[in-house]
Amino acid sequence: MGKRRTFSGGAHPDERKELAEHSAVRKLPAPKVIRVALCQHLGAPSTPLVAKGDRVTRGQEIGAQNGFISLPTHSPVGGTVLALEDAALPHRRSGPTIVIETSSEEGGAVFEPWPEYSSRSPQEVIERIRAAGVCGMGGASFPTHVKLSPPRDKKVDTLILNGAECEPYLTSDARLMVERTADVIDGMRILAHALGVGRVFAGVEANKPEAAAALEGAGAEVITLKVKYPQGAEKQLIKAVTGREVPVGGLPMDVGVVVQNVGTAAAAAEAVRDGMPCMRRIVTVSGGGIKAPGNFDACVGTSFADLVEAAGGYSGEVVRLLSGGPMMGIAQFTDAVPVTKGTSGIVALTSREARSLSEGPCIRCGKCVDACPMGLAPCLISEAAEHSGWKSADEAGALSCMACGTCTFVCPSSRFLVHYIKRAQEAIRASKRSREA
Amino acid sequence: MAEPRLFQLSMSPHVTSPLNTRRVMLDVVTALLPALAGAIWFFGFVDSLLPVLVSVVTAVAAEYFCLRIMKRPVNAALDGSAIVTGLLLAYNLPPGVPWWLPVIGSGFAIVVAKQAFGGLGHNMINPALLGRAFLMASFPVLMTSGWQAPFEWSAPESHFETSGIPVENLQAIPDADAISGATPLRVMKDSFTMERHRGNAVRAQLASEGTYLNLFLGRRGGCIGETSGLLLLLGAIYLVVRGVLELRLPLSYLGSVALFGWIIGGPGLLQGDPLFSVLAGGVILGGFFMVTDMVTTPVTPWGKILFGFLAGFITIVIRRWGGYPEGCSYSILIMNLATPLLDRFTRPRILGEVGKHA
Ligand code: SF4
Ligand code: SF4
Repeated sequence: MGKRRTFSGGAHPDERKELAEHSAVRKLPAPKVIRVALCQHLGAPSTPLVAKGDRVTRGQEIGAQNGFISLPTHSPVGGTVLALEDAALPHRRSGPTIVIETSSEEGGAVFEPWPEYSSRSPQEVIERIRAAGVCGMGGASFPTHVKLSPPRDKKVDTLILNGAECEPYLTSDARLMVERTADVIDGMRILAHALGVGRVFAGVEANKPEAAAALEGAGAEVITLKVKYPQGAEKQLIKAVTGREVPVGGLPMDVGVVVQNVGTAAAAAEAVRDGMPCMRRIVTVSGGGIKAPGNFDACVGTSFADLVEAAGGYSGEVVRLLSGGPMMGIAQFTDAVPVTKGTSGIVALTSREARSLSEGPCIRCGKCVDACPMGLAPCLISEAAEHSGWKSADEAGALSCMACGTCTFVCPSSRFLVHYIKRAQEAIRASKRSREA
Repeated sequence: MAEPRLFQLSMSPHVTSPLNTRRVMLDVVTALLPALAGAIWFFGFVDSLLPVLVSVVTAVAAEYFCLRIMKRPVNAALDGSAIVTGLLLAYNLPPGVPWWLPVIGSGFAIVVAKQAFGGLGHNMINPALLGRAFLMASFPVLMTSGWQAPFEWSAPESHFETSGIPVENLQAIPDADAISGATPLRVMKDSFTMERHRGNAVRAQLASEGTYLNLFLGRRGGCIGETSGLLLLLGAIYLVVRGVLELRLPLSYLGSVALFGWIIGGPGLLQGDPLFSVLAGGVILGGFFMVTDMVTTPVTPWGKILFGFLAGFITIVIRRWGGYPEGCSYSILIMNLATPLLDRFTRPRILGEVGKHA
């Protein structure tokens, strides 16, 4: 393992990985009733292909892809469709879902397995990844086939596998790398084949030596990264691994890089090698408010409540329930929301752990400036935004903010910087649109 | 399925670092205590502790009443920032001032310099320094004369020279009586207008090891909290350990004071004394506790460095050519006004931004 690389800025939140990092992934049987969202991915929701009362089989496509930036949705169980209805979802207020009563979890490959995937053309591989409904499993849920199809003028020469998992509490990627090393490595090779690149790295934070050793042992070139939040953010990861800087407003492919999460790689392996659609994922259930934190292999559509129960239930005074980690995760008002392909973790925070909801005045300490991994001055942007100074917020680089939350984390006054900057972003984008129109 | 429960909604991030404003302020208060102990040691309880207590109590009370009147949450009066302002104001007063002087200074600092601008975080100018400037303008005699000769608590009968020059070295200076009762910087300033050989003799004594040691330990005349570099440094180290002190500002300020003290601080170009420039006057107090006032200084890394550098330059210019022997406070006040400009022109480089270097 080489020297520990990193980016400039960042912070060191309490990792709290010890709660779940040593608990082996447990496969959770599908609950009696599941709720499969049709908009688990970024982009247009899939169009339902079934009606109430229909019988479905495991792996059956129940939602059709709807445009290029969209994905098909598959049923993780065999059973009966109980309802098609809008419901609360972990990553957005609500969206279309299909409720299915489970009768069996049996079933084999849905597509023809291609153990010899290298004899397939990159186009065929990308098409399979699309048909299997694979999207980014690290949280952003961007359809993977889109990321694998860069426009012709962008020369991609490097693939980085993202195993940084820099969010506190979350351990699902770490467990995946240790327990399903072969899936991750096969997936990495499949993705490299699809992109036609030879330079492939796996970036792993130094706090996961077991995972790094496993990947290295299986033949991956592992780059050990300093433990620092947000090491797993795309631009920071690219900077640390390759030294390249994605231009402001640009995409990783502008500097010839594609980043894929290790979970996405494993899903790609299952899709191409085994012929399985993307219907399950590993979810960390952790936090001070969980009795027996652990990692679970659950089918999408399993409710948060079912997973919390599998982890021994709540303990103590839980004030906040998150989908994802505490830095960028989304607070849920209910645990009746279903797991989606992008649900990396469920974190239940007690009042001792959760940030209070009040903020103080900015004392201009400059800590947020030193910590912002994008090189912004969050306090100045938010100050402009609070006075609706959208133009100066824009000039100060508001659009480069990735909402990683590092600034608010380090702020001694707990300023809602991310919130103000997001508002500035919306206003700036709206005014740009109206100027173009 | 378990019964659905309801949870709090809030924006991410959902966790925060243990550092908070109150802790920052209380750490600064703690860091200022060694210097207070030194003041008591050198000037006695009545002349040092009393003005400090009066100043702090006035500051907190003034903050409380302002918040009351403006119908804001009054517990903000206890966030520690008023205590810091009260302490710093008193530290910039000569020992033994009448009790009402800190009342006026501290009251002005909080009411006019801080709360009238909108309270914590909104004031442009360091309240303690503006309070001091107000006192300097209104009560110049009280503020600049009658410097007490320090003594040591253990041996109250033997006094040190206010100039910091060891008593046994005085015979090397012709007509040494004329400089007694003056602070080191005043003596330095006067030396430039003395007869040449006498001025040289004075400066030779100011730049001697014995004087350096006295200045560093605090055996010299000066304001209540500024005299002992050693004790101030102890406080600064504590702040560094606590992760509260950001070193760019103090280092660039003190570095700049030393640099310009050497270049233009002497009788001719490059004839100044960098070490004396840093040890004399209030730049150690200023460098670690006033240049570093977060609210009134830049937030960007280069803004901080430039702020310290320019303030150091102005300090020396005032010392050498200005109307006062010490320029620390005024240099910081002037730079406070430049802070928004510095912030604007030293914006850090955004990741992936081209044509701008970090
Ligand atoms: S949320 Fe935005 S402004 Fe704050 S640290 Fe992250 S990128 Fe910087
Ligand atoms: S960290 Fe908070 S208090 Fe400090 S400058 Fe940034 S917003 Fe202001």
